[in-house]
Amino acid sequence: MTKDRRYGNFSLLTSFGLLLLFLCQRVSLAAVHHQRISGSAGDVLEDNPVGRLKVFVYELPSKYNKKWLEKDPRCLTHMFAAEEFVHDFLLASPVRTMNPEEADWFYTPVYTTCDLTPNGLPLPFKSPRMMRSAISYISTHWPFWNRTEGGDHFFVVPHDFGACFHYQEEKAIERGVLPLLKRSTLVQTFGQNHHVCLKEGSIVVPPYAPPEKMQSRFIPPSTPRSIFVYFRGLFYDVGNDPEGGYYARGARAAVWENFKDNPLFDISTQHPSTYYEDMQRAIFCLCPLGWAPWSPRLVEGVIFGCIPVIIADDIVLPFADAIPWEKIGVFVAEKDVPNLDKILSLISPEEVLEKQRLLANPAMKQAMLFSQPTLPGDAFHQILNGLARKLPHDPQIYLKPGQTVLNWTEGPAGDLKPW
Amino acid sequence: MKKAAGSHRPSRMRSKNRSGFSSDQTSDTAFRSTSISFFRIFIQCMFCIGTLVVGFRFTREAHFLRASFHHPEDSFSRRTGARMGSLVSIGNRSDLDLRIQEEIANDSEAFRLENSETIIRSRVRVDVGRHAILIRPWPHPDPFEVIQAHHLIARVQMEQWQLYGSKESKPIIAITTTFVRSFQAVHLTGLLHTLSLVPVHVTWIVMEAGGVTNETAYFLSKARVHRLLHLGFGDAMPAGLKERGQLEAHMRVEGLRYVREEKMEGIVVFADESNLHSLEFFTEAQKVDWVGAVSIGLLGFAGFEEPAQSRIADVHQEEVGAGRRDNLFARPTFEPQVQGPSCDSKGNLVGWHIFDPLPLEEEVYTGIMLAQNRRLEWPNFVLNARAVWKTEGNQPEWIKSWDEWVTPKDGSAPDIKAILRDDKQVKVLGDCGRKVLLWWLRAEARADSRHPANWVLDENLEIIVPAKSTPWPDRPVRVPSPPPPPAAATVGTGSKRGAGSRVSGGKGRRSKRRQSRPNIS
Repeated sequence: MTKDRRYGNFSLLTSFGLLLLFLCQRVSLAAVHHQRISGSAGDVLEDNPVGRLKVFVYELPSKYNKKWLEKDPRCLTHMFAAEEFVHDFLLASPVRTMNPEEADWFYTPVYTTCDLTPNGLPLPFKSPRMMRSAISYISTHWPFWNRTEGGDHFFVVPHDFGACFHYQEEKAIERGVLPLLKRSTLVQTFGQNHHVCLKEGSIVVPPYAPPEKMQSRFIPPSTPRSIFVYFRGLFYDVGNDPEGGYYARGARAAVWENFKDNPLFDISTQHPSTYYEDMQRAIFCLCPLGWAPWSPRLVEGVIFGCIPVIIADDIVLPFADAIPWEKIGVFVAEKDVPNLDKILSLISPEEVLEKQRLLANPAMKQAMLFSQPTLPGDAFHQILNGLARKLPHDPQIYLKPGQTVLNWTEGPAGDLKPW
Repeated sequence: MKKAAGSHRPSRMRSKNRSGFSSDQTSDTAFRSTSISFFRIFIQCMFCIGTLVVGFRFTREAHFLRASFHHPEDSFSRRTGARMGSLVSIGNRSDLDLRIQEEIANDSEAFRLENSETIIRSRVRVDVGRHAILIRPWPHPDPFEVIQAHHLIARVQMEQWQLYGSKESKPIIAITTTFVRSFQAVHLTGLLHTLSLVPVHVTWIVMEAGGVTNETAYFLSKARVHRLLHLGFGDAMPAGLKERGQLEAHMRVEGLRYVREEKMEGIVVFADESNLHSLEFFTEAQKVDWVGAVSIGLLGFAGFEEPAQSRIADVHQEEVGAGRRDNLFARPTFEPQVQGPSCDSKGNLVGWHIFDPLPLEEEVYTGIMLAQNRRLEWPNFVLNARAVWKTEGNQPEWIKSWDEWVTPKDGSAPDIKAILRDDKQVKVLGDCGRKVLLWWLRAEARADSRHPANWVLDENLEIIVPAKSTPWPDRPVRVPSPPPPPAAATVGTGSKRGAGSRVSGGKGRRSKRRQSRPNIS
């Protein structure tokens, strides 16, 4: 009996000791500021593209780029301003080469999203013709387009549905990606799996958000985050979709109808002057789709450390191979929107803290911004990194002399008119 | 449990040396039993550790699985737009969209989508077109989830405090004066909760005028502070405002004496019960070396309510009439009254901003507080506890010693500002006094008002008189008659014990008491 009792005590002691060890391990995860980010392509956020690729920038007549800016300088501040800033960045970048023979990539600076209505919304109706005209210009003045029919060219098309050049989804799907851009690489903000307007091999970038405007509105990080869920924006687009159900596939309306009286959800259509400050006091920020699945709220959420709750089925987020978005944001299917409060309240605190640590990583914040002047690791560099990862080119893109793949008469008749 | 094969006498194990044969047997059984028991212990350990590791995650996963496998679509109602009166509940989404398309086409002409374009599903996986707006059957917050969310928020805030919060954590010593009166509950409860939320150790010294009472002790028992000292002061609190201020000064000095004698370490804060403190005040107080000053905002009567409002309007009218103001229609503005340190542009203390009462007529104190003194209040100052210690050698020479300032020569009440020999050495807190971290709510009940002890009525009221100016209809006063049956007693009490309501402590108690009262006339 005594020996058993001794063994009993011994087993008790070992299990107690192991329990202590287990607890200590949990407790010793002391408060850490931030964590490194590595996506499916590896730890590539901080790569330096200089020396890994060379880009040649075509000199197009100013009617394709500068004239638009002179006509409407608002193009430099709206959320499609990426095309202008990428052009400026490349002109001054060390990856630029003046010798097209040694270039890996060719960039065509054409501002297709700069034709603005008086309200500031871009009209895409002339964009296909403008793009065709630019491509025919470069194909006649330089031999590099015909060499690969665009296989080593890239274009920046930040509009709602990318190179489909329409703001309405059905029309965009009908049109599809512009036939002449079929072989090129597209740098766009739109990203959705199994969608016509996302070509394979495209680089998805965040929409432009003015960095100085956001960085001047930081509040001390010790301000306690007391808002659970935060959202400001439309739920019903009464002007274009009075019946509801069409805008945002009914997801935003579902958020409003289910959670309008929930005190944990600070949601409203009123846009306050303390919008950025409020985001820094919130734990979750909703990023539901609108007419297109992407929105600048993702960028704002990342900059202000608010965990983005992405409600857009099949969306492809910016730099998805460099940034592991599933670890950073919360993805909620549109059909699960009525259970959003349950889903969010059941996330474990460790997971929330983990996501906040990833968001606090300065490389993450830098990657979402088009900073002027350019800084290492910002969105421009991520675009170049993405282009560098696609090198070396597949030798099949080089066509034999006289071989043509693209059909220049393809597409709606309205596009074929010269611009 | 430790039965060896064939042996039912565990006592045999103890007596090993009885006989050679029995010792062989016992040693044999002993050996076998130890081998079995060791194996069992090992398995036990493994299972223990396994449950520890798995058990925690298991509950979390169970919750999430429960939530995610419950298919919500079947139980949702779908709203398809303002025009549709009835709810459509169809399982298959494609049919839903098509049908809704047709119905809406029949309904409205203003429908902008060309209806010939039905769902384009061939090339995209997500349907384009009109979708239903999913609303769950009871679209209101669930209390369990709300609590979970609050736990999450608390954990995030704790992490924030660990990462970014103030590294200084000097303990706070809060000195409060109180006395039993109608509004004590109002003021003390707020202060209690504020001090319970301060992230550093708080020693709360409560001085009660008139001696220690059970009523105050009952309130203070709810405080979650590091150390609570409930001390009594012999004299009862006088009714007059000026005298009250003087007695409070004496009581605070008593509190400081306690700090001096016990050699407490920390920052002394004069947390008056009628003050509203922001938690930032306690963070700012950590910056104090010896003496610090904060700005207090003054609330209540200072121009926010009648009759001050109409007086301001009159004065404004006068000024407009006399041509001193231009804009006839501009609303007269008044600034919130703030009392505290005043800095110049470089951040040095240049003076004190003292409350200047608005032009009011003489009013008898019937419970409205007027500021008749033009001195700084005690809560304006924050002290390092060492400033009142006996070891005066350690203090800087611009702080007077205890005996010098505690008993003023002219016999008036002690004032905290008298501790300073040199004003300039005071550290100004809260962005050089521009940020108001405290608010003084000057609201009291009438001095002659009475209230039931602990705000609980144990017996019936002696006299019940119908109120003259309530918005609900009066109940007629009847001559006392024999008690009606209990069912009738609940008539007209407005008890809300319906099916859906919760009978929690307060409400239940109230209605129970009403029922026990035999006569509610």
